[in-house]
Amino acid sequence: MQIRSISLTLIAGAAWLAFALPSLQGQAYRAPRAADGHADLSGIWEALNAANWDLEDHSPQAGPMWQTGAIGAEPAGQSVVEGGEIPYLPAALEAKKMNFANRRTNDPEAKCYMPGIPRANYMPYPFQIVQSPRGILFVYEYASANRLVNMGKPDEPVSDTWMGTNNGHWEGDTLVVDVTGFNGLAWLDRAGDFASDKLHVIERFTRTDRDHLQYEAIIEDPSVFSRPWKISMPL
Amino acid sequence: MLPGLRSVCIVALYAIAAGAAFAQAKAPGKNWTPPKTAWGDPDLQGVWTSDDSFGVPLERPRKYGNRKLLTDEEYADRAKENELLATSIQAGVTPNAGYWLQHDGVDYQPYPSNWSEYARRTSHQTSLIVDPEDGHFPALTPQAMMLRVAAVAASRKKPRPESWEDINMFGRCITRGVLGSMLPVMYGNGTDILQSPGLVVIRYEMIHEARIVPIDPPDRPRQHLPASLRTYMGDPRGHWEGDTLVVETTNFIGNRLGIGPDGEGVRYSEDLRLVERFTRMSDRSVQYTVTVFDPKTFTASWTVAFPITQEPGYQIFEYACHEGNYAMSNMLSGARAEEVNQPAVK
Repeated sequence: MQIRSISLTLIAGAAWLAFALPSLQGQAYRAPRAADGHADLSGIWEALNAANWDLEDHSPQAGPMWQTGAIGAEPAGQSVVEGGEIPYLPAALEAKKMNFANRRTNDPEAKCYMPGIPRANYMPYPFQIVQSPRGILFVYEYASANRLVNMGKPDEPVSDTWMGTNNGHWEGDTLVVDVTGFNGLAWLDRAGDFASDKLHVIERFTRTDRDHLQYEAIIEDPSVFSRPWKISMPL
Repeated sequence: MLPGLRSVCIVALYAIAAGAAFAQAKAPGKNWTPPKTAWGDPDLQGVWTSDDSFGVPLERPRKYGNRKLLTDEEYADRAKENELLATSIQAGVTPNAGYWLQHDGVDYQPYPSNWSEYARRTSHQTSLIVDPEDGHFPALTPQAMMLRVAAVAASRKKPRPESWEDINMFGRCITRGVLGSMLPVMYGNGTDILQSPGLVVIRYEMIHEARIVPIDPPDRPRQHLPASLRTYMGDPRGHWEGDTLVVETTNFIGNRLGIGPDGEGVRYSEDLRLVERFTRMSDRSVQYTVTVFDPKTFTASWTVAFPITQEPGYQIFEYACHEGNYAMSNMLSGARAEEVNQPAVK
């Protein structure tokens, strides 16, 4: 009896060590290498959260089309904004409230307009990352939107666009994408959060394990927000 | 010039022209090695344009008969028109040719010339359709004929669009379809090809669709989607045959889109199957061919072929179609205004 229970304890202990030891030693996940020698971010990804409804904390409520009942209802969600709230300038906050009041007709998502950055990344539809020598292509199922991230010498925007001018570089295994040249027409979510054509987004994509990317975006627009702010979420 | 020498020159020029037009169909030049990607696949990557074939009709004008190439005189005429278009567009003036000549005197503002793209090299082809021999669509099936007759009758009954449903799929900014996205038109002729191990992405400027083509060994293609799952751009499957990318696409939504430029023309059925071939012929050209199989619509298959080229300074721009779709709303509001002024058009 005594010997068996000691053996069981030892086995259990060994098992625990096998699981715990790697993280105790801080052994980080290392993404496989893509053909370009960098971390492989390719594959089909999708956000699993309520950020597209509202980036900030939001209670469950009727959606813009109450007639669809629960199908079109807005689920509760926690804020993906660091610090909780989006730091609007006072006039911009009024504009956001007007957007929300008119979201049924004014949300560009309803018209199948290109969703812009960062919203494209947390639409409730999958997207595919293709790492090629021509750059890193993001192909979004929603609206057939796509954007090619230039990984060479940064491009200047030649015109204002919905999906921005995307310039990327690697910082270790993190893909950093600097996006400018927006036309100011896309929203950031269904709650009317928005920015102007002075929007500047800096994104970071890091593969944290086989099935997850950690996505972070710093959003700045001095005509709408009092300071840059950050969202983060797993994909 | 001596008569004999002249005819030799003509033959030589013809051969050069044939060579230029159809060298693409044969092996590339001897001293050139097709580039490969880092992982060993033929490299088709780059921003390509069909601009050089802009102005070549899809179906061959009957006067050319079974001739695939222009004569020297015909080529010279086409070259002159292309030159006029190119220099006018680059100078920012309205060309007195092509689209602008056709719209001269018509009571609305045509596109400004800086919207238009232009050929940099004149094509020798009499038509983009190279098979059948006469450069025309094969005969329609009886079923397709009936659908076409019905469509024409319906459009006669409704001379003005009543809703968005009466506007074509491109006018509604939904899609131009696969062939419609490749055939050259006035603008938006860019095709961006990107590769990654196991994938080729064909990304069209207009209307910004990206086809992700999975690559399989030729003898082990993965299955297509089930027949009940259909899309406008279909379900592509790719493999390499030597240096040629072969893409076979099925699972199209049928009877909605036309098979021609911009998705106009004869509507294809859900049985449509496209076989496209992309072969790099030089550092700056790829020969594109597509064979159309649709036994419900056409009594035989037919093939389109033309080169796509890389041009210095040529860029693909974001084509925000529905985001700026004033054309559709203007057509509809214009039709409503007309009705007020001219009711009951018989």
